[in-house]
Amino acid sequence: MDGLRRARAMALKEVMHILRDRQVLVFALGMPVLLLLLFGYAVSFDVEHIPLAVIDQDHTPQSRELRAAFVSGDTFVPVVETSDAEAVEPLFRRNVARIALVIPHGYGRALGRGETAEVQLLADGSDNTTASVALGYANALALSVNQRSLATILGTAEPPLSVRVRTLFNPGLESAIFLVPGLMVLILVIIAVMLTALTIAREYERGSMEQLFSTPVGRLSIILGKLGPYFVLGLVQVLLTLTLGVALFGVPVNGSVLLLFAVAAVFLLAMLMQGLLISVVARNQMLASQLALLSTVLPALLLSGFIFPIENMPPLLQGIANVLPPMHFVRALRAILLRGNGIAVIWPDVLALAAFFVVLLTLATRRFRRTLA
Amino acid sequence: MAEPAAAPIIEVQDLTRRFGDFVAVDAVSFRVERGEIFGYLGANGAGKSTTIRMLCGLLAPTSGSARVAGFELPDQAVRVKSSIGYMSQRFSLYTDLEVAENLSFFAGAYGLRGARRRQRIDYALEVAGLTDRRRALTRDLPGGIRQRLALASALLHEPTLIFLDEPTAGVDPASRRSFWRLIRQLVREGTTVFVTTHHLDEAEYCGRVGLMVDGHLTALDTPAALKRTHVPGTMLAIGGDLSVPALRSALAGQDGVLDIQPFGRALHVRVRGPLSDPDAMARALERAGITGADITPTEPTLEDVFLTLAAGSTRQNEL
Repeated sequence: MDGLRRARAMALKEVMHILRDRQVLVFALGMPVLLLLLFGYAVSFDVEHIPLAVIDQDHTPQSRELRAAFVSGDTFVPVVETSDAEAVEPLFRRNVARIALVIPHGYGRALGRGETAEVQLLADGSDNTTASVALGYANALALSVNQRSLATILGTAEPPLSVRVRTLFNPGLESAIFLVPGLMVLILVIIAVMLTALTIAREYERGSMEQLFSTPVGRLSIILGKLGPYFVLGLVQVLLTLTLGVALFGVPVNGSVLLLFAVAAVFLLAMLMQGLLISVVARNQMLASQLALLSTVLPALLLSGFIFPIENMPPLLQGIANVLPPMHFVRALRAILLRGNGIAVIWPDVLALAAFFVVLLTLATRRFRRTLA
Repeated sequence: MAEPAAAPIIEVQDLTRRFGDFVAVDAVSFRVERGEIFGYLGANGAGKSTTIRMLCGLLAPTSGSARVAGFELPDQAVRVKSSIGYMSQRFSLYTDLEVAENLSFFAGAYGLRGARRRQRIDYALEVAGLTDRRRALTRDLPGGIRQRLALASALLHEPTLIFLDEPTAGVDPASRRSFWRLIRQLVREGTTVFVTTHHLDEAEYCGRVGLMVDGHLTALDTPAALKRTHVPGTMLAIGGDLSVPALRSALAGQDGVLDIQPFGRALHVRVRGPLSDPDAMARALERAGITGADITPTEPTLEDVFLTLAAGSTRQNEL
């Protein structure tokens, strides 16, 4: 009871510190909004409006039909029309076009005769993502042109093989819906680890930790009081990020919101412990902030599956990703939000988060206990 | 567990603390009686803060025993912490918080509640002279006031014993004097004060003074007794309108002159034998060609004691 009262005194003091220092609040509440807008609107992994150069040397109805098929969607925008094949490389060099469609002389005639007609697609490989996406679209287009021609030749209404693709859970394959869970991880790790690491390192730095230890306040009360306010702040951020995600980007909430918050709470606890461990080891704000940044942003960006699929990584990195919380949290969030999964599906990820929390709690409190006595 | 009131409030036996090969405090033993102002003197690194931190339960001793306010250290550290106040050298208060917020936090940390909490916070504000400025930001207060507030916040739970580690470091002389008035008032009210300082003039206020040199407690007594024991002879202040170098060389040749120390624009000269008499000294100086010397008997200071005791030390640096 006494311990709780002292923890409350610590927590009240921490709230005062936070309220006095506007930067913390601006940082904590402004960053989610900024990151969401940035990633939601500015950063898009959907490739559109790729500048296309069309080199039509054939000038037949068939060649014009192929051109029309390429530019009918939003994917390609014709920026240059020419019949000079030599023009392609300079266009790429000057960054005027990324993709070039070369329809050689005789294309239309070959098609008319039922022979194999060849077209050439040139891609600027210096932008890897755009190139591969563009080539994918182009292949799909070529396939559909092929199917139609085949159907005409064979005299059937339907082509022999038809693959119908239907994407579940994110039908439009929109980046934002996929990104919001990842962003939530990024935001939470930065706030939870960075702010707690800084606030505890500050107590060491200005000598107040020793003053605290000279009072009857127990170490558990210090930890509870110090971390409690940031735990609440973290949950507010979850709410903020989720609300913005739903309102601005139409992120679906197919699963239980309560479960989502419960998982977020476990994740937050793990991150707070990471912050505590960092501050107890570093004992000064400079080092603590660097350690916090390194140990949070890198895993959250690279090893969470937020942007880069974990499955394609070398085994060592996959192993690390499996130990750290971000990947599990992203996976659990996507499962709850997009697929509507319950605890029956996500429990392995929750267990992994809880295990990380327990291990760090043990390390941090052991280290904390030895700091002075 | 409470001890009879007559028992010493601090009892330390062979207290030792090592950091690796470095012996910060080496087999120190002493007692502090209730209601005393106990001064702990020494150069930086002599082991003063390490001793205090052990007595406050912040640092475990390597060996030896310590009993503080009736409780054994380090086993009963938590109970010790409830009975003592501690003002550390590095930190006084949270400067980004208001005066009242600081007090309110420390009252909570010491577990005060209800009417007693309000009453003690009011007391602390009064001690610090900040009753009208409770909403002031602590960082805006002058250093001297801040020290008083720090002391007041260490007194919130009415400790019987208070440890002050260099409480007046970096504080102007006027504030230092008023701070010491406050300390003497606390002692009159029954609190025991354990204070470290390297202002030797402050040590004169202490009932007893312990001198730390290189982790050893080399002397412990009342200021007067320390001077008698460690600075034998008579101290004469010799000044006036004359050339100090000439005076110095004249004195150097005299019989019974034990020590010459500059003191402001005069010299403090420690003498034994016939020249202890100011008139005899004046005649001796006149024979050596120095006239018009102003000679008055004076008391040796603790600085003289310290210089004598620390003379053999290798680690002695400032002071």
